[in-house]
Amino acid sequence: MCSAVTDLSLLDIPRLLGFQFFQYALLGGVIAAFACAWVGLFLILRKEAMLGDGVAHTSFGGIALGLLLGISPILVALVVSILAVIGIHIMRTKGLARSDSAIAVMLATGFSAGLIIISLAGGFSVELFSYLFGSILTIDMSDLVIVTVLGLVTLGFLGVFYKEMLSITFDEGAAKLSGIPVETLAISFDVLVATTIVLSIKVVGIVLVVALLVLPGLSALQLNLSFKGTAAAAVCFGTVSMVLGIILSAVYDVATSGVIVFMAAGIFGVVAVYKRLG
Amino acid sequence: MTSAIVQPDVVSVRGQTDAARRPVLEARNVNVSRSNALVIEDASFTIYQGDYVGIVGPNGGGKTTLLMALLGVLPRDSGEVRLFGEPLERFRDWHLVAYVSQDAISFDADFPLSVRELVALGMANRGNLTRRLTGADWRVVDDMLGEVGMADLADDRIGHLSGGQKQRMFVAKALVRDPKILFLDEPVAGVDAVTQEKFYKMLNDLNIARGITICTVSHDLAAVFCRMSKVMCVNRLVNVSDVRDIDEPGEFLKKAYGEHFHFVFHRHECGGVFGSDRPVAP
Repeated sequence: MCSAVTDLSLLDIPRLLGFQFFQYALLGGVIAAFACAWVGLFLILRKEAMLGDGVAHTSFGGIALGLLLGISPILVALVVSILAVIGIHIMRTKGLARSDSAIAVMLATGFSAGLIIISLAGGFSVELFSYLFGSILTIDMSDLVIVTVLGLVTLGFLGVFYKEMLSITFDEGAAKLSGIPVETLAISFDVLVATTIVLSIKVVGIVLVVALLVLPGLSALQLNLSFKGTAAAAVCFGTVSMVLGIILSAVYDVATSGVIVFMAAGIFGVVAVYKRLG
Repeated sequence: MTSAIVQPDVVSVRGQTDAARRPVLEARNVNVSRSNALVIEDASFTIYQGDYVGIVGPNGGGKTTLLMALLGVLPRDSGEVRLFGEPLERFRDWHLVAYVSQDAISFDADFPLSVRELVALGMANRGNLTRRLTGADWRVVDDMLGEVGMADLADDRIGHLSGGQKQRMFVAKALVRDPKILFLDEPVAGVDAVTQEKFYKMLNDLNIARGITICTVSHDLAAVFCRMSKVMCVNRLVNVSDVRDIDEPGEFLKKAYGEHFHFVFHRHECGGVFGSDRPVAP
């Protein structure tokens, strides 16, 4: 599909926007960017950024299992990721391991399970690489539906429980005293992290998904805004990185996920320097 | 020490006798243990609507433990607690109860919240899960900020505030859902004497203007005896008295702090150090 649009220049962007695959990519990418920026901001403030990386790598086991069994790797990854966050939650709450150790255990277990499954299936395939490093320019309608549904679930949850999530993120003890169901919301949020990661796998891949979660929020936090302002800035930075990344990668025919993450990192660098110098 | 502790002649529920007011918090034979050690022993007392209670006692005496047990956060070994007449186990109207913790003001200074946003979080409680804040809610938030003297700081980031401003902000957060009883655990720890005095005066005004019952842990004994209507001594045993009935505060406090404790208190302190809003005895 990409070969159809090689040897392009920036002047060809309007023509590029006419291609259906490109429209799918932009739409899916923007939904993922929205969800990642929102969830990522809460993850950073809850000091759980590494949960994103851990769950993403654990989902590799689910992708491999899906490919082996011939069923949707994304849906299997979703189930595996949700089980992973519940596992991490149980390890934490039962005192089996602290948060970072629990994440490390789950990451290693999920990833090694993926490696065993792949070797049983006869080695790495091109498709597997597309999940590891993303392949947004190849998403089809069914992928787009999954991304949209998961994205709406994520944004819907954060929209409905906005003040409660903000309360438990700012001060869990005070939230508990106000009668907010802290435990239920915390585990629901972790499930949401899993959902967001899985919907982003097609976009930037397992390896780089944590960047899409963390970088927009980190950039926005540099600006010292209110929460509303910070969230809007994070969504804005995530979306700009996504759209620019997709367009530039298509024009110059380089790895899309790499360019998207590079854009997000670039925005972080520019904002950080601007704030220090400003 | 004779009649130093004279209450203002204000028309409020605080001016009425206990018998004329509704009990809002009742403890009967409450025992609480932590790590197998008895921390609160056989506590029995009643707090009435409009009381302004200073909770005093030595460090480690069980003040925070008692508050946590009264709020149902820590389990009791035995005894009964009633909030607004309802046994704690069956109490559901948590919007009537607000609490400002000891370490509320030591939050992450980089947390991205404006003062207005933080105060609005006080609206979130068990009773309104999923309900979005309306324009009317935000007006209540702004009014509350005005009431604690922080209207002009509404859009500032919470990390930019001074210690005294943070305390006011947390009181506004606690009061924004219009509770009937407010618990504060050492709200003025770590701020200077002038800021402490302003804070206790603000609580005094809220207590009188809104008729809200306030129970605050305090190490500022002079403030307790000048501003508040009742004093609760906590040192394993719990003793609650109306300040008007205490002729010798120094002797009274020895029950909690021990025989070696000396508290010298003169009535002119209330008129001098604590401003002129409170009449003193001739």
